[in-house]
Amino acid sequence: MSRNLVVIGISTGGPITLKELFSRLPPLPAAFLVVLHITPHMDRRIALGLSAAASMPVRLAEHGECLRAGMVYLAPGGFHLKLEGNQRVALCEGPRVNYVQPSVDVTMLSLARPCWNSKLIGAVMTGMGKDGAEGIRHIRQLGGITLAQDQKSSTIYGMPKAAVETGAVDFVLPPARMAAKLIELLS
Amino acid sequence: MKKGARMNDSIMIVDDNDFVRSSVQIVCECAALAVTAAASGAECLRQLEAGFRGVILMDVMMPEMDGWDTIREIARRGLYPGNLIVMLTGMGEPGLKMEGIQEYVTDYLTKPFGPDQLIESLQYYLILLDSVRA
Repeated sequence: MSRNLVVIGISTGGPITLKELFSRLPPLPAAFLVVLHITPHMDRRIALGLSAAASMPVRLAEHGECLRAGMVYLAPGGFHLKLEGNQRVALCEGPRVNYVQPSVDVTMLSLARPCWNSKLIGAVMTGMGKDGAEGIRHIRQLGGITLAQDQKSSTIYGMPKAAVETGAVDFVLPPARMAAKLIELLS
Repeated sequence: MKKGARMNDSIMIVDDNDFVRSSVQIVCECAALAVTAAASGAECLRQLEAGFRGVILMDVMMPEMDGWDTIREIARRGLYPGNLIVMLTGMGEPGLKMEGIQEYVTDYLTKPFGPDQLIESLQYYLILLDSVRA
């Protein structure tokens, strides 16, 4: 059973960018976890909207559940999301990190080194600030593959820029080419 | 009328510039999107208190209460649920004033933006809002 995991951090401009990315992805042997800066009032709406565009089922991640391959999970608003063993969801209360909750860094920094036969991929896409940069550095140190959205296609080139500036990003791409790269890496 | 457009959708353009307000109103009306206008953050808050729910197009630079402070007030008064906020700005990137309220800002359009880009975004965001109401 595939334990491949893709974690995507994203903020302002996220809903339309995610729609573009996931509309180009066929069902893939990986669990996709999206951490979007969002309030609890909008999270379910975003998940429903993304579900209409994606070929993979999309749902809000729930505390205690294990991520499954071929599914897209959206971190709910109002909590930080950590992954135990790169699989089990733990929703945590606590102070904002990088001024946001959920924080991309909190999720990415909770990741562990993947099993020898599993791929770990991290991506940081459009958004203001630097959330996700430390997480991307961590994923790279774990032997994962890292991606960032390019400046031209980003609504706000803040988070991707901070990620790139860590020197730990393998590929800088617009959403369409990021989708192609994910297909290449996971097929 | 643009395909897929509906008359009952709600847009609020919040901008102190008369030309921007009227331009956005015309573009929305041509796409059969119902639109209302507010010339200040305070007027936006009054319309939200009166029951407006929909997509709020919020200018950043406004006298007295700017777009960021208006969003903070929307959050403080509990007026956010049922709405979605898109910032309109002439600046390329937001300053530090956006810190702490990123979750309330769904998108960010840099002026000048074309009518097609605006309507395409608005229609998707209205679908997001409708998906829970349905």
